[in-house]
Amino acid sequence: MKAANPSGALTRGLRLGKLGLTLTGSYLGYQVQNLWLEPGGRDERRRRLNQQASRQIREELQTLKGPVMKLGQMLSMQSALLPEEALAELANLQMRAPAMHPTLARAQFKAALGKHPEEVFREFEPNSFAAASLGQVHRAVTRQGDRVAVKIQYPAIRTAVENDFKLLRSATIPGRISGHVPTALLDEIEQRILKETDYLNEARNIELFHEKLKPLDFVRVPRVWWDLTTERVLTMSFLKGAHLGEWLAPRPSQSLRNLVGHRLLELFWYQMTHLHALHADPHPGNYLFAPDGAIGLVDFGCIKEVPPEFLELIRSLLIGDPLPDDRQQDRLIRLIWGPQPAVNNGVARDVLKAAKEFYKRVYPHADGGCPRGVALDFGDPKLIQGLAQIGSQCARHKLLRPEWVFYKRAELGLYNLLHRLGAKVATEDVLRKYVRPEATPASAP
Amino acid sequence: MSPHQVKPQKGPRPGKRAANKERTQHAILKAALELFSKKGFHAATTKEIARKARIAEGTLFNYFRTKEDLALFFFEQELERMMGWFRQEKRLQRAPLPEKLFAIIHHHLERISPYEEFIGAVYLRALQPASKLSPLSLDSLELKVRYLRFIRNILTEAEEAGEIPQLGDMGPYVFGLFQLAVITHWLHDSSPGKENTLALLDRGLKVATSVLKKGGWEW
Repeated sequence: MKAANPSGALTRGLRLGKLGLTLTGSYLGYQVQNLWLEPGGRDERRRRLNQQASRQIREELQTLKGPVMKLGQMLSMQSALLPEEALAELANLQMRAPAMHPTLARAQFKAALGKHPEEVFREFEPNSFAAASLGQVHRAVTRQGDRVAVKIQYPAIRTAVENDFKLLRSATIPGRISGHVPTALLDEIEQRILKETDYLNEARNIELFHEKLKPLDFVRVPRVWWDLTTERVLTMSFLKGAHLGEWLAPRPSQSLRNLVGHRLLELFWYQMTHLHALHADPHPGNYLFAPDGAIGLVDFGCIKEVPPEFLELIRSLLIGDPLPDDRQQDRLIRLIWGPQPAVNNGVARDVLKAAKEFYKRVYPHADGGCPRGVALDFGDPKLIQGLAQIGSQCARHKLLRPEWVFYKRAELGLYNLLHRLGAKVATEDVLRKYVRPEATPASAP
Repeated sequence: MSPHQVKPQKGPRPGKRAANKERTQHAILKAALELFSKKGFHAATTKEIARKARIAEGTLFNYFRTKEDLALFFFEQELERMMGWFRQEKRLQRAPLPEKLFAIIHHHLERISPYEEFIGAVYLRALQPASKLSPLSLDSLELKVRYLRFIRNILTEAEEAGEIPQLGDMGPYVFGLFQLAVITHWLHDSSPGKENTLALLDRGLKVATSVLKKGGWEW
C-alpha cells in the first residue's frame, strides 16, 4: 500500500494541515479521527466502508474534499441511493461528536452549568445511554424524583465548526474542492450545524413542538427542565419507547406496523401544513416507538421552517395533474433553483417531470377518484428503488435551493423509514386529510 | 478528611508540637491563598498574610521565608491530596489510560481554579532560572520526582496491561510537558467554562495513546 503511493503520507499530512485538522480546532477532524481512532467497532466500520457503494464516500472522506458540506450534500440528496449501512455510517459521521468518558462528561456538565451532576440530581448515570447530535445522553433522576434524559454536548464543538467553515471559505482551499458547492448551501449548512450547537434553541423547539403537536394524540414530545438547561446541556423528560430496530425485533403485527406507518406519514404532513416546520432529521434514532404504536420524538436540534410558497410547490407537484402550464412551471423552477436558476431550462423541466413521477408513485391516487383506504406497500423493494432512481435524477443537479435539499432529505428519510417498517399505508387518506382540502377548492377547473 | 486534620506522624515524639506546626502552616497557606485570589500574588504582602493568619510577621518567616516557599508548599499539599484522591477513586483505577490521565490533570485544574491569578504568577516566576519554583531548582526537585513517580506507576500499569508500549522514564516526562502545555492553555482559555481546554485535554490524550499504541500515525 505504502509503496504504491510513496508521497501519499506527506501529501495527506499537508492537506490535513491546510484544513486545520488540529486536535481541538476542527469538527470535521473529530469525525475523521473517530473513524480511525476509536478501538470499538473500528475495523468493522472500516470494512463496511469498504463495501462497493460506500467506497467512493470513504475516498471523499480521506481526501477531504469539501468535507462538511460534502457530507451534508450526500446525506441530503442521496439518502435513497446508498445501501442502508452506508447511510447509517454517514448519518453517524455527520452527527457524532467524539464519545465522552464519565470524567469528561462530568467536567463538561460543570463547565456548562457551574455545578457537578451529583449536586443537582438525585441520581445521575456516569455512562451515557445514547449518542446524540454533537454529544451524548445520560439518564438521571431529578431531586423531585422525575426521570430525565440529560444531553451533554462535547466541549468546544461550536469553535470547531466555525474553524472548519472559516477554512473552507478561505482562499487557501482550492476552488476544485469547494467550488462546486454554492455559497448559499455552504452558509445554510454552517448555520444549521451552528444552530444545533445551541441547546437552548433546541429546548425552544421542543416546547414549540410539544405545544403544537398536541392535536396528534399519538405523538410524545419531551418536556424541558429549563433550570437544568444551558447552551451545552439539555435536560428533558425521559421518553419511553424503543428505537426502530429494537421495536421491530419481536416482530410486531402487520396491522401495528401499518398503524405506525400511517402515523409517521400523518405526522409529516401535519408538520408541513400546520406547523410550517419540520422535525427534519429523518435519522431513525430520532424516533422512539412504544408497544402501543405511540411515537416519541427526540432530538429537535434540526428544525426546518417550511416557507409557504414551498408548500405550494409541493402541492402542485403532488396534486396538479398533468404538470401545470409553462408559466407555472417556470415559477416552480424558480422555487426549486432560486430566482436565477443556474440550470438549463430543459433539464429543469425534466427534473420537474421526474419529481411529478416520484409523487405519483407515493401517492398513486392523488389525482382523486380513488376509494378511501387503498394502501401502498412501502415494504415493496421495487417502490423504494424506483423512488431512489428518481431521487438520484433530481439530485444530480446540484444547484438546488438549500431549503429544497433539506426538505428532500426529510421526505426521503420518511419513506425509507416506512420501508424499514414494511408498512402498508393509505397515502391518499393522509393526503386528503391534510394536503388536499385547501389545494383543490371546489371552483378549480 | 478536612485539611486541618493531620495524621499522627511516625517517630519518637508524635506530639503536639508537630501538629501545631502543621496547623499553623495550613493557616498561613489558607490566608495567603485568600489574599492571592483577592489581591494577586505580587500585591499581597507577607505582612497582610501574617495578619490574616493571626500570627506575627516574624513567625511567618519561621515557616516560609518567601512567597515562593509558600507556593512550593501549596503544590506539595496539592500533590499529596491528589495522590490520596486518586487512590480512593475505585472506578478510575479500572478506567482506560486516557481517562485516568484526563482525570489527574482535570482534578488539578479544578483544585487550582479559584487561584488562577496566583497560578499564572507562579508560572511566570518559574521561568526565572534562579527561582525556587523553576523546574531546574533543587528546591522543587523533590516535589517533581514524587509527581513523576506517581505518573510512572500509572503508566507502568498501562504498559503491563498492553495499553501502551514500554515508555520507560520518558513517559512521565512527556506527560509532564503535556500537562504544562495544558495548564498554559487553561490560563489563557476564555471559552465558557474553559471548555476548549477540556477538548484539548481529551483529544490530546486519546490521540497520544492511540499513536503510541500503533507506534506511529498511519493514515
